[in-house]
Amino acid sequence: MDRDVFLTRVGRASMTTRLPDPPPVSSALPELPETDLLALFRARAQSVNAVVHGPVTRHGAPRAVVAIATGHDAGSFMAWDELPASGVASALLAAGLDRVDHLVPEEGRAEHNLTYLNVDVGVTGAQAALAESGTLVLVHGEGKPRMASLIPEVHIALLDLSLLDRTLAHWAHKDPELVARTTNLVFVTGPSRTGDIEQQLNLGVHGPRHVHIVMIR
Amino acid sequence: MSESVTFLSRAEALIGTREAEAVENGVRSFLALRERVVDEFPIMGAMRSRARAIRLHSLSHLDRLLSHFADQLEAAGGRVHWADDAAEARQIAADILERTGSKRVVKSKSMVSEEIELNHHLEGLGVDVVETDLGEFIAQLAGDTPSHIIAPVMHMTRQDIGRLFAAELGVPYTEDPFELNRIAREHLRAVFLEADAGVSGVNMAVAESGSLILVTNEGNGRLITTAPRVHIALMGMERIVSRWEDAAVVLETLARSATGQRLSVYTNVITGPRREDDPDGPEELHVIVVDNGRSRVLAGETAEILACIRCGACLNACPVFRTAGGHAYGSVYSGPMGAIVTPGLHGMEPWWDLPYASTLCGACEEVCPVGIQIPRMLLELRRQAASEGRLPGWLEKGMSRYAKTSVEPAKWARAKRWASRLGALVSSRGWIRRLPGPGRGWTESRDLPKPARETFNDWWSANRGS
Repeated sequence: MDRDVFLTRVGRASMTTRLPDPPPVSSALPELPETDLLALFRARAQSVNAVVHGPVTRHGAPRAVVAIATGHDAGSFMAWDELPASGVASALLAAGLDRVDHLVPEEGRAEHNLTYLNVDVGVTGAQAALAESGTLVLVHGEGKPRMASLIPEVHIALLDLSLLDRTLAHWAHKDPELVARTTNLVFVTGPSRTGDIEQQLNLGVHGPRHVHIVMIR
Repeated sequence: MSESVTFLSRAEALIGTREAEAVENGVRSFLALRERVVDEFPIMGAMRSRARAIRLHSLSHLDRLLSHFADQLEAAGGRVHWADDAAEARQIAADILERTGSKRVVKSKSMVSEEIELNHHLEGLGVDVVETDLGEFIAQLAGDTPSHIIAPVMHMTRQDIGRLFAAELGVPYTEDPFELNRIAREHLRAVFLEADAGVSGVNMAVAESGSLILVTNEGNGRLITTAPRVHIALMGMERIVSRWEDAAVVLETLARSATGQRLSVYTNVITGPRREDDPDGPEELHVIVVDNGRSRVLAGETAEILACIRCGACLNACPVFRTAGGHAYGSVYSGPMGAIVTPGLHGMEPWWDLPYASTLCGACEEVCPVGIQIPRMLLELRRQAASEGRLPGWLEKGMSRYAKTSVEPAKWARAKRWASRLGALVSSRGWIRRLPGPGRGWTESRDLPKPARETFNDWWSANRGS
C-alpha cells in the first residue's frame, strides 16, 4: 500500500478517535530512594543467575578472565577488540585458547557463522550497568560484535564500576541520542532463560548459559 | 467458525481438562512473581502513569509518529513497507524473501505474524520456516496453536513434550525439562547460523530514531536479527512511541507485568541494518507496518486497546482465562485484551461473544501496566452486540423486561415478591442448587442461598419507626 494513503487513513481515524485523557505526569522522572549501587547491582545480578566477580584492579582483570574461562574448560573464545582492561585476549591466547574471528565477510556468511558453533567463551566490555535490574548495557559497533555475548555458552563481561547506574529509564534519559548513533545495543539481564516447559527455569536455551561479570575498580 | 462454535462451547470442552489445569498452575506462578517485583519497585505507580500517558499520546499522534519513524529508519538504511491487510503483509514478506533468495527462515515470537498467518502462507511457497522461541518451536512441531501470549505451550506437560520430541526429532524419550531444553538448543543452533532471513515482531518502535525494540528471554530474538543476511520485522501500526526515553519508561513496566522479571533477559534495540564499521548484523532490514483493521479500531470506541503493550498480565489476572485457558477464545489474541482486540480487528461476526467471556471484576484493569479501561470497553462491545440484535431471544426479552420493571418501584416490589416465592419453590434446605432453563448453566458451579421470605421493602414498611 502506498505510504501516503496508509498514513492519511490513520490520520483520519485519529480525528474521530475517543481516547481517554492521559494522566498528568511531571516532566522529571520519579527518583528512587538512595542506595548502595554496588551492593544492589551485585544482589540483583545474582538473583538472575549471573556470577559477579571482583572488584579487581585493571591490572588483575586478564588473570580473572583466564581463571573463569579455564574453569569452564574453554578451548576457544571471541572477544571485543577494545575492552576496559588491556591484555585480556593475549592472556587467553597464552593460556592455550584459540581465538575465533568475528568479522562477518560479504560472501560466505553461513560458512563464517558455522565457525561459531565451536566458540566456548565470549568476552565483552559494557557501556553501563543498571543496578535495579542487575543489567549489563552492551553497545555494539566497530570492533564490538553482537555475537560475542550471544553465541558462546559462556559470556564474560568486564564492567568499569564507575559506569553503574540505577534503572533503564534513568540511564536512557541521560543520553537520549545514543540509540540513533548505534546500530545495535542490548540490555543483558542474566543468562538466556526460558520457562516454556511447565514454567520450570531453564538456563542457556539459545544464548549463553553462564554470564560472568568481572567488576573493575 | 460456524454458528455453533462459541466461546462457551470451546470453554466447556476445555474446563476441567489437564490443559486448563496446566494453565491455572502456570498463571499462578506468573502472578506471584509479578507481585514481588511490583511491590519492591517504589516508583512502579509513577512509571505506570507515565507509561499510560506515553501510550495514549502516541495513539493520538499516530500518523505523524509513523511518518517520522519511516523517515528515520530509511535514513539509517532500512526499508519501510505499508500493509493494508493480512494478505498484503504476507505478500510483502514473500516478495522480500523471493528477491533476496531466502529459502531458510528463522522466526522469533510475533503476534502479528500469527494474526496474518504468515507461516502457513510461506510454507505454501516452499519456504522453510522455523519458529525458534522454545514454546513456539514446540507448538510448531506439535502442529498446535499457542495458548498464552507469553508462555505458548503452557497447556502442555513435560510428558507431552518428551513424546513429541521423540516422535518428531528422533531422540530418545525424556521428560526432564533440562534435557528437553538441551535437545532444542542443539537442534536449532545450526538452523540459526545457516538461515537466510530472520522474521521478528516488534515490541516497540521509536519514531525519533527509527529504532526497533525486541524483547526476548531466550536470545532467539537476537540470533535471528544478527546471524541471517536479511531481517524482516512485522509491526502492528500502533506499536510506536515518540522518543527513546519514552520507550525506556514503558520497558520498566513491561517485563515486571509480563513475567515478573525486572527486565527481560535481552532488550534489543536495533537502528537500521549493519553499518560500514559493524562487524556483524544483517545487511538488509525491512519493517512491514500492518494496519489490518487497526485504523478502524482507532476511529471507534475501543481505540484505547491499541495502547496495549502485550504483556499478558490481564490474561493471568482474569478468572475466566484462568478457568478456560487461551484456546477457549479461538483467536490469536486471548484473555480480556483479546476479547477487545479480536472483534476490533476481525469484526463482531463471529467474535461478538468474546466480550461476554468476562465477569467484569476489573482485575485486568488493575494489573494493566498502562491502565487500559478494559471493563469499560467490554461493556461497550456488549452494548454494540445487543444493539445489533445478536443476543439470544430469551436474554434480549429478559433484559428489556428487567430494564422496564426496575425503574418502577411498584412493579419492582411486585417482581421481588414473585422472585422470593419462586426461589422458595426451587430451593431445598435453604439453598437453590439447580435452576431450570437458562439458569441451569449458572447453577452448575454455584449455589444460591434461598431468598428471604419477606423482601427488604416489605420489612421496612412493616417495621419503620418501631
